Amino acid sequence: MMWLSGGFIFRSGNSRFHRLDPRVKLLISILTFATALIARYIYEIGLVVAFILVVAAAATVLTRIARTMALTATFSAFIFVVNFLFTRNLESSSLYAFRFVAIVVSTSLFFVTTTPDELERVMKMFRLPRDVVFAFVTAVRFVPVMMLDALQIMDAQKSRGLELDKGNILRRARNMIPILIPLVVNAVVRSGELAEAMESRAYGASERPTSLVEYRAKRVDKVVALAAVVVFLLAAYSFYSLLAPIAL
Amino acid sequence: MILEIDGLNFRYPDAPKKAVDSFSLQVPESEIVVLAGASGCGKSTLLRAINGLIPHMYAGDYSGDVRVGGSSVKASSMRELAQRVGFLFQNPENQIFMFTVERDIAFGLENLGVPRQEMRRRVDEAIGLLGIGSLAQRAPYELSDGQKQRVALAGVLAMRPKLIILDEPTSLLDPKTALDFVDLVANLRKDVGATFLIVEHRLDLLVKVADRMVVMSSGRKVLDGSPSEVLMGDEADGFGVSIPAVSRVQKLLAKDGLAGVDRLYDAEEVAAIRQRERR
Repeated sequence: MMWLSGGFIFRSGNSRFHRLDPRVKLLISILTFATALIARYIYEIGLVVAFILVVAAAATVLTRIARTMALTATFSAFIFVVNFLFTRNLESSSLYAFRFVAIVVSTSLFFVTTTPDELERVMKMFRLPRDVVFAFVTAVRFVPVMMLDALQIMDAQKSRGLELDKGNILRRARNMIPILIPLVVNAVVRSGELAEAMESRAYGASERPTSLVEYRAKRVDKVVALAAVVVFLLAAYSFYSLLAPIAL
Repeated sequence: MILEIDGLNFRYPDAPKKAVDSFSLQVPESEIVVLAGASGCGKSTLLRAINGLIPHMYAGDYSGDVRVGGSSVKASSMRELAQRVGFLFQNPENQIFMFTVERDIAFGLENLGVPRQEMRRRVDEAIGLLGIGSLAQRAPYELSDGQKQRVALAGVLAMRPKLIILDEPTSLLDPKTALDFVDLVANLRKDVGATFLIVEHRLDLLVKVADRMVVMSSGRKVLDGSPSEVLMGDEADGFGVSIPAVSRVQKLLAKDGLAGVDRLYDAEEVAAIRQRERR
């Protein structure tokens, strides 16, 4: 799970790519994702990955994306092995494995360059219910808080003699219980306090809540979005697979 | 009177005894009232009955009346109450919801559907009052405890409440930050004319600014008076109120007729009396 959190959690950055409208970033992500899906040859996937890496370099998140890629490799190797065992087809198995990398990395590109704030905005644009959006916001907002909580609990339990990294996997998993229970209890208490604070600040008071910040797409956003679509269409055309059923 | 409590009783479901017992209190506008008492004496319950969490969020046996600004808390909606009573909870972490300070300060106003321009004005005003302009774009996890406290208070102030409740506001702050916070409260009272009801154990910090002290025990109001009346009297000790060391010394000096009890002396004054005596 650690590789997931590394490649999907936003850390502040201020490149041109970061400053794009989140909708445009999402569009780019979806389009590269789609391109990876319709690609029929490994070199095509290679092109997609290369494209993502170039964008990542421009967005100054190359190292993080590269790390995500490296970490995805294990899973991707697994996909390769399973596929190969069943299909005995070297080409299709490696295509699946590479495609998986491309898909993960294209999604990761969106998440590492998009602030939780922007994510919230995107969710609102998709007209998700306010409660759902707020639940998401709270979950992300409290990730660092809960991580600190967990560290403190670990220290406390270690100081009482809990040996976290001893024994086989089963044993280690069992060792986590004394960490998890206080963590969950803390979270429940915290959620009660959050509920009180929300009530006290009129959460849900208005049918139509307003927003402090206004979001408007700038010209550069429109240009980049258009360019992304054009590139996608060109890629799709050159893979001449838009209308043909997806191979493999 | 901004706050009128008449014979309030509240018992949580299945609790053996009342958390608040025949409690009455009248608070005039822009007074700073300190509410003290041992843990579990009903302070938190009382605060929640003032801002409407009781009875709107927590059910229980409720009788008596609480009025804020003349209207009954029980009959008002949480929407109205959120604008009338501001509540700064003990842990600021759990009342900051958004990813940037500025947006969090706007949280309540967004919920109320306040138009953007008006919201912008009020957010900027709250930021100005608390001097946190440099934090406006920060994320909550980038803030120190003292900063979180200010941000949470800014979110409360943006709603422009007439009555502001602070629940142990300095419990997570270091002494210097705590002292700054108390000064801030005193300034806010001057600037916005709000009334403050503060639950606090560290009375030494607050005696300077408090107009009045109320002591609770087992859900009842047991003492109510100026800080000097409460702290110089003989009863406060028995109710689990921590009397500041300076006031203890002043009380001892008063026994020997060396100090008055009509107002609270600070450390310098007490020291001056001691010196005079030595000579």
